[in-house]
Amino acid sequence: MNNDSRRYVIIVFFLLVGAIYTVRLFYMQVIDESWTLRAQQIAEKRKQITPPRGVIFDRSGRKIVANKTYFNLMMVEAKIKNFDTIAFAKLIGWTPEKVKSRFWEIKLGEGKYKNPATGKTTSNYQKIRAYPFVKEIELDEMLNMAPYLKNFPGFYEEITSMRSYPFANGANILGYLSEVNGDEIKKDHFYSPGDNIGRAGLERFYEEELRGIKGIHYIVTSALNNAIEAYAGGKYDTMARQGPPLKLGVDITLQAYGEKLMKNKRGCIVAIEPKTGEILAMVSAPSFDPNLFVGKKSIAKNYPKLLQDPKMPLYPRPLSAEYPPGSTFKLIQGLVALQEGVITPGTGFPCKKSMVGCHNHPNAGSLAEAVQYSCNPYFYHIVRRVIQQGKRKKQTEDAEIGLRKWVKYMHSFGFGEKLETDIIGIRSGLIPDVKYYDKWYGHHNWAFSTIRSNSIGQGEVKATPLQLANLACILANRGWYYTPHFVKSIGKKGPLAIYRKKKYTMVNHRHYESVVEGMRRVVNEKGGTGSGARIKDIVVCGKTGTVQNPHGEDHSVFIAFAPMYKPKIAIAVFIENAGFGGTWAAPVSNLMMEKYLLKKITDKEKEEKMLKANLD
Amino acid sequence: MKREESLFGNIDWTLFIVFAVMVLIGIANVYSAAYNPKAPFLFDFSQKYGKQIMWVGFSTFLGLLVFLIDASIYRKFAIPIYLFCLVLLVIVLFMPPVNGARAWLGIGSMGIQPAEFAKIGTAIALASYISSINVKQQTVNTVIVANIILFIPVVLILLQPDAGTFVVFTSFLFVMYREGITYDPIVLHLVNLIPGVRFKKTWVGSHFIPILFVVIFLSIITLLMSNNTITFSFLPGIIIPGFFGVIGTLFVMSISSYFILRFFVAKRDRRRITMIVILGFVLSSLISSVVNFGFQGLRKHQKDRIELFLGLREDPDGEDYNRNRAMAAVGSGGFFGKGYSNASVASVESNHVPESETDFIFCPWAEEWGFVGSLTLTLLFMFMLFRIIQIAERQKATFNRVYAYCVAMILFYHYAVNIGMNIGFAPVIGIPLPFFSYGGSSMMSFSVMIYILLKLDSQRGDFLG
Repeated sequence: MNNDSRRYVIIVFFLLVGAIYTVRLFYMQVIDESWTLRAQQIAEKRKQITPPRGVIFDRSGRKIVANKTYFNLMMVEAKIKNFDTIAFAKLIGWTPEKVKSRFWEIKLGEGKYKNPATGKTTSNYQKIRAYPFVKEIELDEMLNMAPYLKNFPGFYEEITSMRSYPFANGANILGYLSEVNGDEIKKDHFYSPGDNIGRAGLERFYEEELRGIKGIHYIVTSALNNAIEAYAGGKYDTMARQGPPLKLGVDITLQAYGEKLMKNKRGCIVAIEPKTGEILAMVSAPSFDPNLFVGKKSIAKNYPKLLQDPKMPLYPRPLSAEYPPGSTFKLIQGLVALQEGVITPGTGFPCKKSMVGCHNHPNAGSLAEAVQYSCNPYFYHIVRRVIQQGKRKKQTEDAEIGLRKWVKYMHSFGFGEKLETDIIGIRSGLIPDVKYYDKWYGHHNWAFSTIRSNSIGQGEVKATPLQLANLACILANRGWYYTPHFVKSIGKKGPLAIYRKKKYTMVNHRHYESVVEGMRRVVNEKGGTGSGARIKDIVVCGKTGTVQNPHGEDHSVFIAFAPMYKPKIAIAVFIENAGFGGTWAAPVSNLMMEKYLLKKITDKEKEEKMLKANLD
Repeated sequence: MKREESLFGNIDWTLFIVFAVMVLIGIANVYSAAYNPKAPFLFDFSQKYGKQIMWVGFSTFLGLLVFLIDASIYRKFAIPIYLFCLVLLVIVLFMPPVNGARAWLGIGSMGIQPAEFAKIGTAIALASYISSINVKQQTVNTVIVANIILFIPVVLILLQPDAGTFVVFTSFLFVMYREGITYDPIVLHLVNLIPGVRFKKTWVGSHFIPILFVVIFLSIITLLMSNNTITFSFLPGIIIPGFFGVIGTLFVMSISSYFILRFFVAKRDRRRITMIVILGFVLSSLISSVVNFGFQGLRKHQKDRIELFLGLREDPDGEDYNRNRAMAAVGSGGFFGKGYSNASVASVESNHVPESETDFIFCPWAEEWGFVGSLTLTLLFMFMLFRIIQIAERQKATFNRVYAYCVAMILFYHYAVNIGMNIGFAPVIGIPLPFFSYGGSSMMSFSVMIYILLKLDSQRGDFLG
């Protein structure tokens, strides 16, 4: 091959490359569609549409958590023209320095991307994108601003929503919202920066229901950020859907009344509808207005204040405070003794104060009377019979068997275990078991005499107010309960499945009547400790408790339900360091029950006295 | 003399028109790719399109100068021109680095890249040297001198470092091949060391360069395709392994190149051409198979290394960031494209493809004009290349012919590597697409390259040696 014909080698080369490239380009551009999708993926912009959160109604359909519209002032840097910083600062009520620093905060806050191939670093911030410049502007502020915004091209308002609470009550139940943090965004891709998330209470427990479904529209844009087309023909677009409304069992007027009664007191009220397990009211005193926790600005202002308050308004007392149950605990002991067959309803014990102190009252000739008089020695006797059944010769071994059984009974009443109520912050209280005492005293080193204080609700046992309210429910129902819960219905679906399952205690329903009779006497008979809870024409059953505690004055406790037959409300009231149960807790329960059952207060004097009482 | 009256009379208008059309299309494309809504005026010199027009203006001025100066100057001053380029290449090494390479001479945006002009200098020097020797009697010495002319600028460019321009400089090997300067003397020297062997000529030594490049080209394409499968949206269920795609393409290429070559080749050579095509197909299929199965047989970590080098890794946001995005821009163009100034991926403003106005200028073009645009661009380049070869072959002076071949090969390399990057056939090495990419140095050097060729051609009548 001579040199001149080598030109053909070069020509063939050109042709070969030209032809291969043409084939390849034809394949890439015309046949293979994967690159088109990839291009759309690169150039698409997601437009997220966040729906307003689901609203919350109380049991009679009053809206107690609503959404209020507010505005964000958005900025698109590429569209800003002839910007007058001073005039703009004046318009939004900031200093010019703050306007400038906010701008840099947005710009730098987006972070940077380093292209590993070219080594060039580019900012994630894009001039053509919209960023919220001022957040959470109220409607009236916006109305003042809006007419002048046209002087500032590149700025526009965007409507969005925030919680509002028509009733200033139930903050401890409802919880609040605040902005998601980085970890939450990483954990759940639902969220993007600036989104809100439920932080406490129902807002947190029902977060996934309430937040709804975000709408995402994918748009492919051209160089000038003009939308060209929907990505993949809108195939992947989703519509935003608001979360379903929650209907609560809470009666907001009862809740509000409870919070009013508990002003200047520390403690709590839990009221439950026994038939359904729906919580009617849950007051944690001191309480606060849920509107204090709306929006970034007010949370930043109010949260630290409430957190540092020595009265601990943010502490969910009804769920987390573990008090000794005091005399209210005697009710279960009577039931367990009957179920175990160690007494009959007619069993009596003399009130000998040798073992334990008691107040002066006639000897109890029956269980009902023992409840009526809240006789301490009586309950020592019967619990001893439960614990020490003589199945082993040695006292300590016998007590171990007895306590094991006793613990099971307590659990069946919801004590010593976390109730599965739909809220955050529940604690289990304490039912000391064999392990507990073995650790404390050593194996086979204890017997009934060691642990006897438990039989009158002192000693090691602890219960939350919610558990005591649930006990009132069990007594009202004579032996069963639904787990107490707030949400009656999620949209139209009814409550969660766990709240539709009836739970039975280990005590047969026929044993309840004598204890309930005792509770009737507590309120309605002479010598009863809870006469302050009496309501005309309605039979109230109750039990007082006066809880000794290391923090000072006794806690005043009362649990009750009414009416005696077909009960509509069960209630537990705790007032910290207020003294005798009958003096404070019983009248407060009475007022609550009247309010709920009669919708009016008959004894204005009593109401006045309770409202005025300052037990702080 | 007659020549004086018709300064532009002997110009090869065909080549000039193709060149002018490409430059104009290039400006329109830069205007679309780098469009700034704040400065919509085409001649806004603060914008890239305005500057590009300025560079074109500069180039035209340089072209006029070229036409005013007698063509013999290049041959006379070949060595000073070559040395001047080398000096620039040395000076540039002492300049502050821009993006990690000391490639720029001057300040900021007004700088030039000596490497671009070194191509012209080397082409002239090579043409001058080759025209001064009798290639029929090539010796080890002539081969070495020719290679040294090439070697010095290559080393200086690698010091910058500028891998892209280095690759382009290998194009001169093809020119040397065309002119008969091959590695045959060296190969012969080595082969004849073996006792009892006395060759006068070896086929491998003579055709070492094209063989080497065919092997490299085929290997890269085979490797790139070997993990792929080819599917067709209109033929669901049919999946072709990438390797068979390569073989199939080779087959189609061979058949079509045979028919095309029939038109170019004299009747008596046809048998030979048939043989060459068949042999070429068999050999390239063989190479492709060896590479494919050899690669598949490699261990995992060896495979990984090769894949990383070729940018084969499925890592669209990391190593393979640029190319993946460039390919997405090209691939999304469709048949007719998205329309002028409607590029969604490749526009400079959207910043999805880095360097989309310079090295990746093909992206906005292919995205906006689709396959029609890509085909037009390929045809324009092919037409220009063939025209230059035609011009080269009609020169009586060896100097002119060698220079013309240099121009053709340089342009071809730029086209092949640049488009290759955009379609996933070449690793990402930054070299511009002639007449299209934004940039003063490349615009001026390519234009001057063409103008000198046109000038040499217009004076081919007053041949001297």
